[in-house]
Amino acid sequence: MKQDYFSANNIKYIDYKDVEILKKFINPSGKIMNHKRTGVTAKNQRALATAIKHARFLGLLPFVVK
Amino acid sequence: MEIKDKKEVKEDTDSRVYELGYLLVPSISPEDVPVNYGNIKELVSSLGGEIISDEIPRSITLAYSMIKVISNIRNKFTTAYFGWVKFIVDTQKVLELKKKLDLDPSIIRFLILKTVKENTIASKRFIRGDMLHRRPLVKKTEIEVSVPINKEELDKEIDALIEA
Repeated sequence: MKQDYFSANNIKYIDYKDVEILKKFINPSGKIMNHKRTGVTAKNQRALATAIKHARFLGLLPFVVK
Repeated sequence: MEIKDKKEVKEDTDSRVYELGYLLVPSISPEDVPVNYGNIKELVSSLGGEIISDEIPRSITLAYSMIKVISNIRNKFTTAYFGWVKFIVDTQKVLELKKKLDLDPSIIRFLILKTVKENTIASKRFIRGDMLHRRPLVKKTEIEVSVPINKEELDKEIDALIEA
């Protein structure tokens, strides 16, 4: 993913309920991917990280995959 | 008069768009879920909240097991009903809402976030767009590979060019 996924798809607000999108940015063990890997802008990467953390709190995404 | 106007403007800016995401206890029977959902919506509107959009709680398997102590008994949950409400409410009232939700025994967890008025769920729209974007790339490479180079024809064409 070279281009920013969110600006390419015209997503202005990264929602924690969009689990299908958020899943693209976590690795098999459940960690949030590095911005170098995701290719997302710094601003969106910050918003993405918070969205993933909110989704984890409500049990939509795992903290760790064993 | 001017001071009054300013006050009115201030009052307007004091209300914000919030979103409440919550997990309901799975012990509720599916028929009773709309009752709990209605109670939460009522609670929000009783605090002067204007509901913008919402979703009826649906049963989900949690990504990890959660623990909640209800009347001194430790309960472990692996499934729950997940629902959300988006509303506009006065910033002062949000703390009150939080305190009331804290006491609700039917809620495992909840999350109150500041958000925007517009619909923010994009997954259904864009997964297909992503797929369409990838297809032309595959076709291009196929076309490039499938064109065979006929040496005789090439030679003839070159000869014709030289003669001309």
